[in-house]
This record gives sequence, structure tokens and C-alpha cells, in this order.
Amino acid sequence: MIPCTDFIPAYSELFKYLEERGAPQAVAAFWEYLADRFLQNLRELAATQGLRGCWEYWARTLTEEAADFTMELDEEAGEFRIVMHQCPSKALLLRCSYLEPYPDYCRHCDILYRRVLEPLGYEYEIDLSECDQARCILSVRKKGQAQFPPTRGAGES
Amino acid sequence: MAKRVMRRTAGEGLYYHPDFHGALSASLDYLERHYGVEGVREFLRRFARACYAPLVAGLQERGLVALEEHFREVYRFEGGEAQITRTEETLVVKVRACPAVQHMRRRGYPVAHLWGETLRTVGEALCEGTPYAVELCVYDPEGGGSIECFYRRRR
Repeated sequence: MIPCTDFIPAYSELFKYLEERGAPQAVAAFWEYLADRFLQNLRELAATQGLRGCWEYWARTLTEEAADFTMELDEEAGEFRIVMHQCPSKALLLRCSYLEPYPDYCRHCDILYRRVLEPLGYEYEIDLSECDQARCILSVRKKGQAQFPPTRGAGES
Repeated sequence: MAKRVMRRTAGEGLYYHPDFHGALSASLDYLERHYGVEGVREFLRRFARACYAPLVAGLQERGLVALEEHFREVYRFEGGEAQITRTEETLVVKVRACPAVQHMRRRGYPVAHLWGETLRTVGEALCEGTPYAVELCVYDPEGGGSIECFYRRRR
């Protein structure tokens, strides 16, 4: 069997395969499919519990993935943010000398979560400017709310 | 209205996110729909050759013991009930119920029609270019139980 710990290399190889078969648009089309098919749990949590649902979803997934992150929820301000200090997926791909990661690997986090959250009335942003170091910042807020200050959050190295 | 902060560091927990099995299953369904059975097999072959390159090298250099160690670790980690028997020329991996399939059934993720290829095609890719071959002797699509037989090819 393929253990769940090998899913990330599989994911990266799948993106490469899809691009080879059908250009970058084929990869984006797959991400949209995956958002619709696989992220029902995030959709339900966000739809029924709002930003608290986002917290619940990522608290479980990121803990299971042993990620290095700071997560903040400010319900009064209507904001939720994840500062990823070291993404376990990207870090794994970067440290495996025998794997060639899909160059645009991190963009799946843009398309997948945006596709779930924006129809529910949220603004979704992800800063991938440091994703080559396995770092990013993801933020979700109710439309019309003020933004988080542009820092990298508590505990940022 | 609550304000909450959670800080986790990489060393705090075990990396175990079994919902990824559901994502892989959805991916295989997508590939089958768009590129057919051959698309699924070609992707899995490429993945296995890339991800398991060190394992294939181990199989070349140390023989079936390398595969035995790999499968023992996989099923220990995933919590599967596997009976693994090795002789000089054969390795038999019997799994009563696949932990990935069990997890998907519990969580309500559809199990891909071609999930069995994660055994058949990946096993064949591991053996490619080595003195060994594999046969998927038994596969139960419902629970994912299987018997894989690796053996030395006849010269």
C-alpha cells in the first residue's frame, strides 16, 4: 500500500503528470475538482460555524501533518490567519534529494481553499512569496472586515 | 467573541494524516475519468519510480529484505494487520484489511474503482529493472485485503 506519508510526493508527481498531459490548465482544473470533491468537510464547517469552522478544520489537519505554524482567530474582527513557519508538505519535497517537486506546487493551496471559501462570503488571501522556503501566510476574513496587520505573527523566526 | 491563538512546532506531533488516502482516491478517480486506466497506471508508475527510488536501489543491492523492511514499517505505521513471509527467493505480503481502505470507509470517502492499482502497478514499478517480479494474487475491493507475491524472475 501507499502510506499516507507518501501522499505529498504522489501529489507533486500527479501535478507534473497532468501538466505534461494537458498543460497548466489541466492542473488547475484538477485542483478545482479536488476542492469540490474532497473539501466537503471544510465547506460544511465554514458554512455552519463560520471562521470558527476554519479554525476547527485546520487545527486538526495541520496538527495531523505535524506542521510548524501559528494560527489566529479573531471572531470580533472577523479574521482567521495561519502563518506557516514550515509547511510539512513543501519541506518534505525540498529535503528529498531524489524528488523534483512540481514547480508551482504551492498554488494548489490558493485554488483549493479559495474555491471553497469565497462562495461562502469570505475573502481569501495567500502569500506564497516565501514558499520556496516552505513558508506562507493564509488569511480568511468576512467580506468588508478590516485586515490583519501585515506581520508574520507570533513566534515567527 | 473569542480571540484564539494556536502555536505548534514541527517536533510536537507525529506526521499522520490518513485523510490523504481519500485525496489520493479522488485523484485516481479523476485520472481514470480523464485519461483512462492507462493514465492511472502511468501516473502510479511514475510516482513509484520517483518516490521509491531508494527502495528500488535497496531491492537491487540487498534483495527482498529491503522490501520486507519497507512493508513491515508501512503496516506498523498505518496500523494494518499484515502477515509478511520471506524466503530467499520470495516475499509474500498478506493483508487482511487495508488500513487506507478502512479509513476511507469510516470517513465516508469514496474508494476509487482502481484503488487496487496502488498495489499492482506500484509493485510492478518497484520490481522494474530488478531481478524480481510481483503478482497481485488476491485483492478484495471492499476491504482492501490482498496477497502480494514478490519472487525472483527465472533466468
